[in-house]
Amino acid sequence: MDMTAIVLLVSFFILLFLNVPVSICIGLATLLSLVMHMDFTPAATTIAQQMAGGIDSFALLAIPFFILSGLVMGQGGIAKRLIECAMALIGSLPGGLALVNVMSCMLFGAISGSAVAATSAIGSFMVPEMKKHGYSAEFGAAVTASAATTGMLIPPSNILIIYAIASGGVSIAALFVAGYLPGILVGLALMTVCSLYAIKHKYPVSARLPLSVTLEKVLAALPSLLLVFIVIGGIIGGIFTATEAGAVAVLYALALSVGIYKEIKVDQLPALFLKACETTAIVMLIIGASSAMSWLLSYTHIPQTISEFFLMLSDNPLVVLLLINLILIVVGAFIDMTPAVLIFTPIFLPVAEQLGMSPIQFGIMIVLNLSIGLVSPPVGSVLFVSCAVAKTSIHKIIKPMLPLYAVMFLVLMLVTYVPAISEALPRFFGLIG
Amino acid sequence: MQNFITIISQILEKVLMFAMLAIVLTVTWQVFSRFILQSPSSYTEELARFILIWIGILGAAYAYKTKAHLGLDIFVDRMAPPAKRKTRIVIEIMVIIFAMSVMVYGGTLLVTMNIELKQTSAALGLNMGLVYSAIPLSGVLITIFGCNNIVQLLNNDVANNNVSKGEM
Repeated sequence: MDMTAIVLLVSFFILLFLNVPVSICIGLATLLSLVMHMDFTPAATTIAQQMAGGIDSFALLAIPFFILSGLVMGQGGIAKRLIECAMALIGSLPGGLALVNVMSCMLFGAISGSAVAATSAIGSFMVPEMKKHGYSAEFGAAVTASAATTGMLIPPSNILIIYAIASGGVSIAALFVAGYLPGILVGLALMTVCSLYAIKHKYPVSARLPLSVTLEKVLAALPSLLLVFIVIGGIIGGIFTATEAGAVAVLYALALSVGIYKEIKVDQLPALFLKACETTAIVMLIIGASSAMSWLLSYTHIPQTISEFFLMLSDNPLVVLLLINLILIVVGAFIDMTPAVLIFTPIFLPVAEQLGMSPIQFGIMIVLNLSIGLVSPPVGSVLFVSCAVAKTSIHKIIKPMLPLYAVMFLVLMLVTYVPAISEALPRFFGLIG
Repeated sequence: MQNFITIISQILEKVLMFAMLAIVLTVTWQVFSRFILQSPSSYTEELARFILIWIGILGAAYAYKTKAHLGLDIFVDRMAPPAKRKTRIVIEIMVIIFAMSVMVYGGTLLVTMNIELKQTSAALGLNMGLVYSAIPLSGVLITIFGCNNIVQLLNNDVANNNVSKGEM
């Protein structure tokens, strides 16, 4: 590898391990590598220009909207209604409460895009409930954390929007639709583990609710779930863009939680707006800095070098894709999903495309892969939130996580080697050729 | 000094809240004008993009103040308090170096370049230098917050909070 790549990598990791914010690590490492090729003044100006240019995109506007609507839904009584709906539907199966936990996380993921929001909204209710019925806190935390990651794939999903930008223009609508099947597959795989675990530990099975009560609970959740049809239906039907759908989602969530459920007061809104700005800015600074870095990468032809290196190692797609997945799992354990997608998409997507993989399938693969990182130590953010919610520790949660990691990896392999899992639905809706 | 910090962060908060409200209203207006008025607005898309740049870049200064940026804290957390404090000062200096060189210096050059070349946006006819002025402004704020953090670290014996946290 050439000097620029080495300087970039070494300075990035030194800064990262020092606990410098990851966006600044990317920016400083880029600056350092860029001054090897040009004077300081054009280097600094180029990075400033790329930072603003990287954020200047109408598609990225969807991100603050889905962040804000997620915040509103987390506090606005929508999570509670989704849990009660899931309870009425599948609560009486073996391992019922664990299944309800998984399904609630999936439903929450279907209306919002943040795994951390899902973990705290669903986990803070479901883990104590599971404990009350004899499940261990560790198992509850493990189930919540892994189930919350399904929201990364089930649309609306901010990370898929970020991938669409990083890949240079894959259709957001196609990616959103592509995420459903893999997301549901992960959910079903987790549910299978939960049921087997519950049967093995002979957890009590709760009685079936009468049909009238079930109907009532499902009806109560309908207004929340209607959002799915408005947002996703509107995007698939070409009625509006993902960004416009995001603005509609904000208005709908506000109308529901402030107007109808009355769980958020109008004077609480400025604080929610500010919180959404903060989260948006963290993501945008990473995107801005990464866009300066990917400019540097293509300026110095680093992706081609890496691509040639991989294809030199082996020309067998099975081996190369497995290798990419293993590297990404290690990366995901240390770097958060957003910077990881922004940094590694321009590097690995060309390799995958050379091997005949479509950008849609690669996007689903990288997001599912990095989802495992969200729930692995040492830095898995979702795992930490889940432990905090369940009042348990990282050491204890690893054992119940092991079978859940295993099935997540299994689905990852399916997604990697079976293109139809990602491509069948978008093709059905005519979103890809 | 602390009063000054409080005042500028309060102004920053108000600006950000207002920007978020504005961005929601702008895009809502875009949808409304297309469906109800049947005459799609031509300037909303550009306006919304520019507000996003301001939220992203100015918000970065706010997130730095609230120590909300993402980082890897596993190694720093294991350090003894004196080493941890020294590391934290190094981190603040790194952030200030970036803010001064790229955001203030590079950003100011970018702004003046755009003003001199009269680069205007397509729909609103706004000078792009004005849009990009968020970068040096945010750089100055980050530098102020960073210096304040260093002063506090030098006065305090215990390093309480990390500069960034591992959570999104």
